[in-house]
Amino acid sequence: MTEHSLWRFSRALHRAINDRHFEDVEALIDDDVEWAIYGPIDMFPFLGARQGKAAVLRVIRQLADNFRVRRFERESIMLGVDSASSMLRYSLTALDSDKPISLRVAQFAQFRADRLISLRVLVDTFDLVEQALGRAIHLPKMTSVG
Amino acid sequence: MASEGISGMSVESLNKQRVLHLLDTIMRGDLEAALSCCTEDVDFLTHAPIDVMTHMGPRHGKAELREFWQTVSSRYSEFRYKVPQIIADGDEVAIYLRAHFKKRSNDRIVQFDMAVFYSFRNGQIAQIREIIDSYDLVQQVLEREIGPLIVGAGMEAE
Repeated sequence: MTEHSLWRFSRALHRAINDRHFEDVEALIDDDVEWAIYGPIDMFPFLGARQGKAAVLRVIRQLADNFRVRRFERESIMLGVDSASSMLRYSLTALDSDKPISLRVAQFAQFRADRLISLRVLVDTFDLVEQALGRAIHLPKMTSVG
Repeated sequence: MASEGISGMSVESLNKQRVLHLLDTIMRGDLEAALSCCTEDVDFLTHAPIDVMTHMGPRHGKAELREFWQTVSSRYSEFRYKVPQIIADGDEVAIYLRAHFKKRSNDRIVQFDMAVFYSFRNGQIAQIREIIDSYDLVQQVLEREIGPLIVGAGMEAE
């Protein structure tokens, strides 16, 4: 049975982020890839939408510049023929502050000929911002409008 | 990855249809039909700032889930959605959902993307897990940017 494209991509992505070895992941990304990690791009410039391999590789390099993956755990995973979705729990270290960051992440990937053609990632971004700030954001409770 | 279900339809196809049916019932406000898709002990969790959005806390069982959906219905109308991606694997389904809600208070549209993971038991939804770009959602619900509030709080602290 052939290995699902997700596993190869996941290994290569983690190797790129932690070891700055970008060749493997580059080979697994389609030239016309669509990529989006949704979140506040003014605070985290590596978030947002990108199109094309070169732009995506720049984002992966930015991720490698900013984070190290300490641990990750797959809480849920679904594999389609050329697609995959997973909910993951990541333990990261922010390299500039050496702070631990813990994130729950949902990802939806699509592949063609073993290459990534689309990746959408959603994160509980309010929690991410609070962890990056190192303190809670105090807002009024939205008991009647939220 | 595809397992045979009833009537020759794969379990995965059946579960995808069940999820899309659930979404349709919620969007048209038929909460009892939506609840009939769920097990009695359905477990619901959204990863969102529940200290700010107090109604978005964990819900367990049909009664609590009904209360949550009723709260959402009382605040929003004209629910619309698109599902750009849906993946099923055995008794699990994941959807990437783009939702549009209209606020009843001022007719403003709240638009957000979310990931929803469903687990099935005996053909019914037993677990729902959601991840939302919560920073953006809070800003839309508050109708203001949070950034200046963060900066302001930081300056006060100093």
